[in-house]
Amino acid sequence: KNFKIALGDSAGSAQEALGKAFVAALEEKSGGAHTGDLFLNGQLGSEQDTVNEAAMGTLDMSILAINNVTPFSPTVGILTLPYVILSLEEAETLTQGAIGDELTANTIEDAGVRILGWSYTGFRRLTNSVRPVETVEDLQGLVIRVPKNEIMIATYNAWGVNPTPMAWAETFAALQQGVVDGQDNPYLTINAMKFDEVQTYITDIRYIFSLEPLVISEQVFQDLSEEDQQMLIEAGKEATLVSAQFLRDQEEAIKERLTTEGGMEITQPANNEEEFISLATEAVWPQFYDSIGGIEKMNEVLAILGRDPVE
Amino acid sequence: MEVSIVSVLFGSFIALLLIGAPITVALGVASLLSIIYLGDNPIKIVQIAFTSVASFPLMALPAFILAGALMEAAGISRRLINVAESFAGPFTGGISAATVMACLFFGAISGSGPATTAAVGMLMIPAMIQRGYDRGYASAVTASAGGLGIVIPPSIPMVIFGIAALGMPAPPEAVEKFGTFQTVSISKLFIAGFIPAFIIAGSLLILNYFMSKKRGYTGSADGWSARQIFCELYRGFFALMAPVVILGGIYTGFFTPTEAAIIAIFYTLVVGAFIYRELTWESLNRSLETTTWLTGRVLLILFTATVFGRLLVENRIPAIIADGMLSLTDNIYFIWGLLIVFLLFVGMFMETLAAILILVPVMLPVAYSVGIDPIHFGVVMICTLGIGFQTPPLGENLFIASGISNISIEEISLRALPFAAVNTIAIFVIAFFPELSLWLPRLFGY
Amino acid sequence: MRGFWYVVNNIESFVSRALLLTFVCLLFTQIVAREVFGFSISWIEELSVYMFVWFVFFGASHAAKMGAHNRVTFQFRMLPAKVVRYIEAFADLFWISFNVYFIYLAIDFIFNRMNRFQSSQTMGFHLSYVYIALPIAFTLMTIRILQVNYRRIVVGEDVTDPDKIDLDEIRDEMQRGHDDPNGRVG
Ligand code: NA
Ligand code: NA
Repeated sequence: KNFKIALGDSAGSAQEALGKAFVAALEEKSGGAHTGDLFLNGQLGSEQDTVNEAAMGTLDMSILAINNVTPFSPTVGILTLPYVILSLEEAETLTQGAIGDELTANTIEDAGVRILGWSYTGFRRLTNSVRPVETVEDLQGLVIRVPKNEIMIATYNAWGVNPTPMAWAETFAALQQGVVDGQDNPYLTINAMKFDEVQTYITDIRYIFSLEPLVISEQVFQDLSEEDQQMLIEAGKEATLVSAQFLRDQEEAIKERLTTEGGMEITQPANNEEEFISLATEAVWPQFYDSIGGIEKMNEVLAILGRDPVE
Repeated sequence: MEVSIVSVLFGSFIALLLIGAPITVALGVASLLSIIYLGDNPIKIVQIAFTSVASFPLMALPAFILAGALMEAAGISRRLINVAESFAGPFTGGISAATVMACLFFGAISGSGPATTAAVGMLMIPAMIQRGYDRGYASAVTASAGGLGIVIPPSIPMVIFGIAALGMPAPPEAVEKFGTFQTVSISKLFIAGFIPAFIIAGSLLILNYFMSKKRGYTGSADGWSARQIFCELYRGFFALMAPVVILGGIYTGFFTPTEAAIIAIFYTLVVGAFIYRELTWESLNRSLETTTWLTGRVLLILFTATVFGRLLVENRIPAIIADGMLSLTDNIYFIWGLLIVFLLFVGMFMETLAAILILVPVMLPVAYSVGIDPIHFGVVMICTLGIGFQTPPLGENLFIASGISNISIEEISLRALPFAAVNTIAIFVIAFFPELSLWLPRLFGY
Repeated sequence: MRGFWYVVNNIESFVSRALLLTFVCLLFTQIVAREVFGFSISWIEELSVYMFVWFVFFGASHAAKMGAHNRVTFQFRMLPAKVVRYIEAFADLFWISFNVYFIYLAIDFIFNRMNRFQSSQTMGFHLSYVYIALPIAFTLMTIRILQVNYRRIVVGEDVTDPDKIDLDEIRDEMQRGHDDPNGRVG
């Protein structure tokens, strides 16, 4: 079978890297019997539309940002809360372990889609054109663009900043014209969008780790033989490992390019980011306990990561 | 495989058009037949019906239609035309030149070609005839200049192009070859159309000058009246402010096009009700009514055209067309020639907005694959379809001009041919020099 | 009683006009709130878009009642008007079939397929309240298509093309300014 795979992002993205790795693994395992066709740039509809289409079985697969799955299956929202994930390794632990399996069970039940693999796009880093930001104090007075996402808005509010929600299509122009001073996005995106042309300072904050799962329509999945199903699951796992390596390779090269060619300055947050972390987690987490399945769920995740529980 | 789906999709579409089915039905039924032919589940079209329409930028469409209808009812349109008329001085072809200028002024508040022709023609065609102009020539000038209404911003076709193109990003092969393309936005299109509108107006003015000279249309004997001009400028002050309000907000980046249109609506309500005192409850109600069915009609086409476009993409048909074209030639000027001739041809038969919705999914990927900028492509597409208003068999501007002057459509279209010719030359200039469209948006920081 | 039938016969037009007026005012409120008072009302944009969806599909049904949906007609120029009516009525059979099938799909989608969490982000209600506009409007539209063809073929009425700009009306409009040589400047 030739699977139709929808992607929201363009060529060169982590989404594409995962998609290509998945198709390659699938072709190899099936001896060419199965393959996939990637439709980049949201050609098959917005990321949220693709969830519905996959649920109805009219689309085979989609690779999309995890926050576009949340409206259809709220519990995956736990991965999008600030500072739950503090490193790529923690992201791998959560997504590839028991929590990942549990979330997949939920998306099958709630949204009719099964998560086969994960692409890791990296932490959203803060950039701006005004000054180096090392502390929460430095952030005050800057006009920061965010997507229309309640968790991100709540996080900035917790830092004492009132961010400007703005559509992605308008963002580059707004940074260029100085309508907004800064924004946050992973290194891969900062590089792909050439933000170094309009921004000077980067702060390596880690408030949100961008995860972009590969989902398959459960209906399509169940129509396959058990052997084929196993093949897809294996291919998804392999592609996930490729994606993690892709991020490791890319981020270093991109940092290098942005600081030399791009003339950007990278700042590490003061005191190992502790002030950012405590403000955000204390204010934002409690607002979302209900939608992620209760405070117990959060403590379960924290226990897996070897951190202290919250009350 | 691809060949058979192409023939089902386009074959049933054209067959339905020929038996007189509404364009939206032809698109919808052809798509449905193709989905069934491919063995897919058609339920996804329900979601497309919702998502194709549920978009904030799209709300600029009813807002601009309503603003235009209200400006007509409030007396703003008429005052703008009076200002242009007062400039018709003692020079050769003065009043017909004023007609072109009036279309340019009027176009800056109206988003529609036929509305521009009707409003301007109603005043200027009788005025030209009174000064000894040939009826056919007077009608032809007006019908030709009426197309400026959709090139100079604001423009309803540009809103529609922007919406259609937003869903059509550059194919990865094109990005690999030409680097990233700029994103499409309605604001950018509005700014990009400004200089091309003046180039087209200029081409019409030049032809008008020579034709008037040949025909001996001199200017009015009494010469320029500074007092008259001043009077009209004074009376038209609030009318002249309307384009400033609309475009100023967009160009400075303060407002989205939708918001600018909303502000224009309230500006017109205030001016029409309290300053000019020409706006009545009845005309307000009529404006709402017109907006309702016009929007419903266009956006029903948007829904079925989106389904149609999705099928094209899923079956990689634009890529096949692009490859076909590139196998003929990779000379960009030759490809522009093909695109423009094709658009002129379609413009003869098809309503502008429907044409945009159907052609963007097919032609924009082709444009990308030869490295054409999407904003530049949109401007050329809209300028070219603007000529369609003056070409038979479906030439909305011809119908209106003919209704005003009582000259047959055949005669007017014949007289309009030279204007269509210079207009086409102007379009080739706009197509061959992308900076004419792209410089201004960049200047404004977009 | 006549008033009642007048409303029923123009129901889409009434609903659409009311929606249009409301979302235009809502958006204006949003602009004023933002530019003058410096805050934004989070639910306005989303609510306006949903009202717009209802407005569009009811407007499309209204356009059907007016016989306003564009057709390509140059190929009929040599045929008598009566023959053209029958050909177009035949073409409308495809339209009706499309609508009936679409209504079935929309009802299936809304009642059996929609994700139960899919709700408005700012107001919380389930999106089926917006999607339900689709089967309702397409049902009305189907009735309108039958109505127009009844008027054209059985009654023999000429359902006039609403695109035709009424020149007399514009002439009156333009005349107003000339009757009043000094204009009315505020
Ligand atoms: Na215009
Ligand atoms: Na035409």
